[in-house]
Amino acid sequence: MKKLLSLILALCLVLGMASFAAADGELPTFDKIVLGENTDLAADLVFYYHRTDLDKDENPVLKNYVAKFNETYPNIKIEYQTDTDYHENALLRVKANDWTIMGIPAINKDELATYYIPLGSLETLNGLYNFASAQAFGGNVYGIASTATASGVLYNKAVFEKAGITELPKTPDEFIAALKAIKEKTDAIPLYTNYAAGWTMGAWDAYIGIAATGRDTYMNQELAHTKDPFAKQEDPATGAYAVYKILYDAVKEGLIEEDYSTTDWEGCKPMMNQGQIGVMVLGSWAFTQMQQAGDKPEDIGYMAFPISIGGKQYAPAGSDFCFGINVQATDEQKLAAMYYLKWLTHESNFSYNEGGLPIAKGGAYPDLYAAFDGIDLISDVDALPGEETLLNEMNAESELNINNGGNTKVQGIIEHAFNGDKEFDDIMAEWNAAWSEAQAALNVEVK
Amino acid sequence: MSIVSTVQPDLRRKRINWQKMLVIVLFAVVPLFLLMLFTYVPFAKMIQFSFHNMSYTKDKGYVGFANYLKVFTKQEYVGAMLLSLYYMAGAVVQLALALFFASVLSLEKIRGSGLFKGIMFFPFLVNGIAIGYIFKFFFTRGFVLDTVLQAIGIPLESLPYWLRDQSVNNWSLVFTSVWKYCGQNMVLFIGAIASIDPTLYEAATIDGANRWQQFRAIILPGIKTVFMLNLILSITGSLSAFEPAYVVGNMGANGTATFFIKIHEMAHVTQKVGQASAMAMVLMALILIFTAGQRLFFRFVMKDSENTFNAKANKAKALW
Repeated sequence: MKKLLSLILALCLVLGMASFAAADGELPTFDKIVLGENTDLAADLVFYYHRTDLDKDENPVLKNYVAKFNETYPNIKIEYQTDTDYHENALLRVKANDWTIMGIPAINKDELATYYIPLGSLETLNGLYNFASAQAFGGNVYGIASTATASGVLYNKAVFEKAGITELPKTPDEFIAALKAIKEKTDAIPLYTNYAAGWTMGAWDAYIGIAATGRDTYMNQELAHTKDPFAKQEDPATGAYAVYKILYDAVKEGLIEEDYSTTDWEGCKPMMNQGQIGVMVLGSWAFTQMQQAGDKPEDIGYMAFPISIGGKQYAPAGSDFCFGINVQATDEQKLAAMYYLKWLTHESNFSYNEGGLPIAKGGAYPDLYAAFDGIDLISDVDALPGEETLLNEMNAESELNINNGGNTKVQGIIEHAFNGDKEFDDIMAEWNAAWSEAQAALNVEVK
Repeated sequence: MSIVSTVQPDLRRKRINWQKMLVIVLFAVVPLFLLMLFTYVPFAKMIQFSFHNMSYTKDKGYVGFANYLKVFTKQEYVGAMLLSLYYMAGAVVQLALALFFASVLSLEKIRGSGLFKGIMFFPFLVNGIAIGYIFKFFFTRGFVLDTVLQAIGIPLESLPYWLRDQSVNNWSLVFTSVWKYCGQNMVLFIGAIASIDPTLYEAATIDGANRWQQFRAIILPGIKTVFMLNLILSITGSLSAFEPAYVVGNMGANGTATFFIKIHEMAHVTQKVGQASAMAMVLMALILIFTAGQRLFFRFVMKDSENTFNAKANKAKALW
């Protein structure tokens, strides 16, 4: 009886779905996808993504990619849905079945399999793709990186030249000195904080790992166990303390915009392009946007974060959102989505065009990283097995939300520095206390 | 219909009652079900969540009143609650203004009063987020407000940074809220005033009462219910202020984070759903307490004026 039932069921499936791919039931892994095959594949896909800037009528970058893809795969229809409030909405939408591909939002790694299909084993894909481990769990990869960036600091070359800065700053002291020179010798705002946008402040968190310590284990393995991670580390100035101290000092010395409460993210791009801003601390994904915001793209430069460890600078490299495929999608959709992702990764030049590091191993490096010559580009290694969610839990428990939307705490640095109502050491002491409390609450071993 | 027409006349009465029952039940079932599903079940769930230490996806179990305790012991949250005082002060100003305009527009024959009502009511129709963006530009250094103030002779140097300086930024946000809701309150008041018997004014005028006396003795008692409603809505609205601080105040940055914003942050950034639920419960309790408190307060205060009102009304009627 059971056999008969399953036979009928299987027959229905085979008859119901004309596609051969669905018939054999098993999806190929990502590395087995060969572009140029299966060109008659037909499916309607919804691609949910955060890059609203690439989805504008006057500049339909994403649609252009689809059109290019459709030259080979004319029957795969892809609709991009972009969202300014992606970080939040994606967390709600991830459970639905109204999307096929999305940039994987901040969910716990052990939940990846609940929402996304595995693309292949980490062992195989790691050899072929950079950042394959970014969204992997239990030996399976659930997301392929969209673009990848090395984090540093945006600066305007013309402004630096005018201020007489010939050598890029390598330490916090040199950096503050450079900002001062900009203030004295030019009309530009030395450091534009982008305080009002919020997430631009949380972006500072990205530098407390590799850039501030030089260790690829710091962020995902050590931080949760560190006692007082925000404690002062002098000679040389390193660690999270040194990172946030730069911001505090810049505010205190009056090296930022006049009214930080009304900064305008869209408005800052042309200002950066036109040399009205000296420096902005943002990931390299912002580089292209600054270039495109005016007629002086050649003036935009990118340098490593000004902290040196043992005379050497390190830059954290990591992936932006990884693309994952909905586990609830139909088999045709899943397969079609795989082809599109493969094409996006290998043939679209998407990452390169966005100024990103190559995703497929052996790809080309863009000009953006010219100033990174001699700087070690390293990626954060994964959390230890069994501790994949520890940092998330520590973030929630301490409410510091490091690298996870904790914008208000960095905004607080600016407020306190400006109003002069709290010393920097006191702020760091508070954060340390919150961290220690969270470690105690979660029974985390403190090293 | 078809059933009704085919039944026997002697049975009709009983049948129709049954049908009536059925129709009533059927009509009530759908909205009641939806109400249960989307309001009371989630609410019950929220109460349950508030006693748990949990994120969206992980429940680490029952923690008793720990979440509630934290709401009252963390200075951050208490400070956020105190921010409501700004908005309450704003609410009082807003009601006074609305009442003033409503009285003037009702008592005096003013040319173009319809247009004026329209202008006053318009802000309420504009989407809160749009208002936020309008006011962001309004308050930006050297933009709208500063330009206007400079035009009337105040030098820019003596003006504060409306959103940066923590001594004024909450007032700036309160102003946007007053701007938005004042017109709405006014229209409600005008509606209430219009329902007062106009002969009372005539009688009062004959008695020699001036405008202020008419306002105090006729309008104020006459619109008591609407006034109470507006007051309760404004005060509870102040407790749960969100839009101005979120949009104009950059998501509650720079000391403008109201309690509601703290809840939002707890639920969506930190993702401590249990803690956020407990905070929401506390907010609800606060609103209930304030509403009940106001009712009790006004029961005593208004009793007096109601007596005056009745006495005056009787007197006026007696005169006629």
